[in-house]
Amino acid sequence: MNQTASTTISRGFWDAPGGRKGIGAWIFSTDHKRIGLLYFYSTLAFFCVGVLLGLALRFELFQPGADFFTAQQYNSIFTLHGVVMIFLFIIPGIPAAFGNLVMPIQIGAEDVAFPRLNLLSWWLYMIGAIMALTSLFTGGGAPDTGWTFYVPFSVRTTTNVSLATLAVFIIGFSGILTGLNFLVTIHRLRAPGMTWWRIPLFTWALYATAWVQVLATPVLGITVLLIFAERVIGSGVFDPARGGDPVMYQHLFWIYSHPAVYIMILPGMGVITDIIPVFARKPVFGYKAIAISSLAIAGAGSVVWAHHMVTSGMSDIAVMIFSLLTFLVAIPSAIKVFNWVATLYKGSIQLDPPLLFALSFIVLFSIGGLTGLVLGSAATDVHVHDTYFVVGHFHFVMFGGTGFAFFAAMHYWLPKFYGRMYNKKAAVWGWALMTFGFLVLYMSMMIVGMEGMPRRYYDYLPKFTFWNQMSTIGSWFLAIGLLIVFVNIFRGLFKGEPVGSNPWGGATLEWQTPSPPPLENFEAEPVVTHGPYEYKKAGIL
Amino acid sequence: MNPALLTTQEAVDPVFWFILGISALMLFGITAAMIWFVYRYRRSRCPEPESQVEGNMILEVIWIVVPTIIVLAMFYFGWAGYLALRNVPEDAMEVTATARMWSWDFEYANGKHSDRLYVPVGKPVKVKLLSTDVLHAFFVPAFRIKRDTVPGMENYVWFVAREPGSYDIFCAEYCGVGHADMTTTVEAVPVSEFEEWLSGMEAAEQTEQGRELLSRYGCLGCHSLDGSKSVGPSFKGIGGRQVTVLENGTEKTLASDEAYLEKSILEPGSQVVKGYPPVMPAYADRISVEELKAIIDYLSRIGKEQPEKAVPKKVSRVEQGQALARQLGCLGCHSVDGSRKVGPSLKGIYGSERLLEGGATVTANDDYLRRALRQPGAEVAKGYPPMMPPYPQLTEEQVEAILEWLESLR
Repeated sequence: MNQTASTTISRGFWDAPGGRKGIGAWIFSTDHKRIGLLYFYSTLAFFCVGVLLGLALRFELFQPGADFFTAQQYNSIFTLHGVVMIFLFIIPGIPAAFGNLVMPIQIGAEDVAFPRLNLLSWWLYMIGAIMALTSLFTGGGAPDTGWTFYVPFSVRTTTNVSLATLAVFIIGFSGILTGLNFLVTIHRLRAPGMTWWRIPLFTWALYATAWVQVLATPVLGITVLLIFAERVIGSGVFDPARGGDPVMYQHLFWIYSHPAVYIMILPGMGVITDIIPVFARKPVFGYKAIAISSLAIAGAGSVVWAHHMVTSGMSDIAVMIFSLLTFLVAIPSAIKVFNWVATLYKGSIQLDPPLLFALSFIVLFSIGGLTGLVLGSAATDVHVHDTYFVVGHFHFVMFGGTGFAFFAAMHYWLPKFYGRMYNKKAAVWGWALMTFGFLVLYMSMMIVGMEGMPRRYYDYLPKFTFWNQMSTIGSWFLAIGLLIVFVNIFRGLFKGEPVGSNPWGGATLEWQTPSPPPLENFEAEPVVTHGPYEYKKAGIL
Repeated sequence: MNPALLTTQEAVDPVFWFILGISALMLFGITAAMIWFVYRYRRSRCPEPESQVEGNMILEVIWIVVPTIIVLAMFYFGWAGYLALRNVPEDAMEVTATARMWSWDFEYANGKHSDRLYVPVGKPVKVKLLSTDVLHAFFVPAFRIKRDTVPGMENYVWFVAREPGSYDIFCAEYCGVGHADMTTTVEAVPVSEFEEWLSGMEAAEQTEQGRELLSRYGCLGCHSLDGSKSVGPSFKGIGGRQVTVLENGTEKTLASDEAYLEKSILEPGSQVVKGYPPVMPAYADRISVEELKAIIDYLSRIGKEQPEKAVPKKVSRVEQGQALARQLGCLGCHSVDGSRKVGPSLKGIYGSERLLEGGATVTANDDYLRRALRQPGAEVAKGYPPMMPPYPQLTEEQVEAILEWLESLR
């Protein structure tokens, strides 16, 4: 590409006249790239908060007994860790941050369909986030229910659960609006020649995700409102003391929160699917199979929720049906993994940092997915349900999967929007420490869970000490890796070498416009003449 | 036991091995292929890709059909194993487990209560699961069983212990600040021993056994029961009193709690009470765990009695109060050794000045303690969460017994 021509880089959308200066140019901007960066930095800030809380939990669990916190403090910390990581980082992380940044450019649009609605989504997200954080310091103390808010405990506890559930309600609306916006954008704003089968697979994944967001999130809204009503006016829908049914709460909660797991992982899969062919210089293997599997995951993933409830006391027939459906949802995920690996075959593979994170994703997500089979099978789920095995499994999928995809996306796309490159060697070091620390941290959790240690335990029997200590030590490696990655990438983005429009040799549209892109993304409206991974036709080979 | 009968762990473990085995193979295959491709087709070796193939229908069909067959097999075995957990053998003995914040109560068919789940070896046990407050879950890792206890709903699990032993029970559904402490054990004992345990009144029976063991091992030769000094300190009031001991020549004052008593029986030479000769033999290899427990139980019990209260009728009231406290789950939140748990410790509470939420102080006399049992929310101790449920179901006689027990904890 024309890297030599760009020693002084144009500042693109960073310089765009918006009529506003300073922070106002950001928090009132309707430019999808600025909103994407707003989301990126806010989700990243909450990610750091969540990491610190997670490290605190691991410190407490380094040995049995009370060490740093009281049981009540510990319970609040793990609740907060879950709420922050899930509602403030993983759910909005990739779709709202990188979806906003990249998706409109990938389909050749100037912006999303409803730019102002897009800004409103970010504001709702921030208002919800601030309410969630406020709930820590007001009322009866930080919520201590876990992120699942199970009744009757969440109705009985004197802590500030009401405000936290309202916060989740508002954040839910942010997700619904973003989903709606993306659906309309993908349907209506594609550039000439951008047929459905030429849409890059990251955008395909966002499309499937958006449907889940729009259809499933309202159920979460209803559920948390019902908890709010239960606490404030004693409505008695869930509380058995008032004739309600706590198992029904679990159904309503998981009708949203299981599909939410796919809201979290699908965009991550999309990132990986876009990265692998670029660094292998080979079209993605089985484009249509991957696109359709995203829709299949979104569809089938919406009807498996009660596998979280095998031991809840629901009927055995329900256990059987949900176990069967759960196994079926494993198949489209397996299809993706096989296609990713097949894409590498006979390619020309450049081991740059985005690909390294993507390869880690494949292995870690596979471990997460395969251990999911243990949880899908009714007999084995009974033993490992609500133990550290589930905690390990969940982190393999959510952090090893979505988290590593987030880091892959950072290393892949951020140079595009800053026009500068980070130090690749330091990134490799960060990646290696992260992957190693991750494996030690969460593998240990799965082993101690298999031995029978329940989750959400402030204290544990001495026989569980060894693997808990391994796990805590792993968390330190992971933390050092994260630190290296952050320092390196931000130093690079602000001070690194300028990159041309296409540093990796990608064939999708975001690489056919300058880095950083201009205000409305393209100097002239692009006309699409080939698929997103046809490197010969794109003139890259 | 019926040799054809599968235990729950025998029904579940093969499913684990099947799923984990196939998963390990697939993970190995995926990772090995990925690493090999990255190595074999690295750009320094293959500057140009050898292929631009976009897919292969036959491969796609294979890797849809083969995983489908595999996961259907996993589903089938998982479901079959689950059915084994649900189908209770006909001759199972029934026990009712009631969970509450934050302890377990097990009730047997004859009305006997226990905070440990005693079961006979080789006999299937069906545990009916109830909860009085929030969700809990009954989890015994050794038997691979787990089921939520849901207020207003009856669940069950069953298991059979093939070997005698002590197996951990955990609460697996998060239930608040005492969640991690909500642990107890399944005590699997030989059938004859179980029958004996079941037919005896717990307190009396254990007292008897402990008392009998003290004679059998000759303890009473050196330790009196009536407070008189002999070769060793008297057992009277030994449970929980402060003792001054010599450890490697240095003087230490500590509470003679259960841990201390256990240590003094197993290795008496390590901490010798000041003023007594270090002549007691070690019992580490001479008594069984069960016997040790019975002795310590007995010693703790007689330790809680005040000398002037040693009138038989009063003693039984104190014991009744203690049994009630255990059964109602008081000890899930209140310690008797002075340590802070969810609620204030009961040690020394009787007659003490209590600081209440809001700044008032009150003397913990019979009146206050009675109110604290009947309407705990009305006057809450400062610095503690107002979480205690009221106990309106207690009869006046039971309250009296609890009060006397509290008085004995001074």
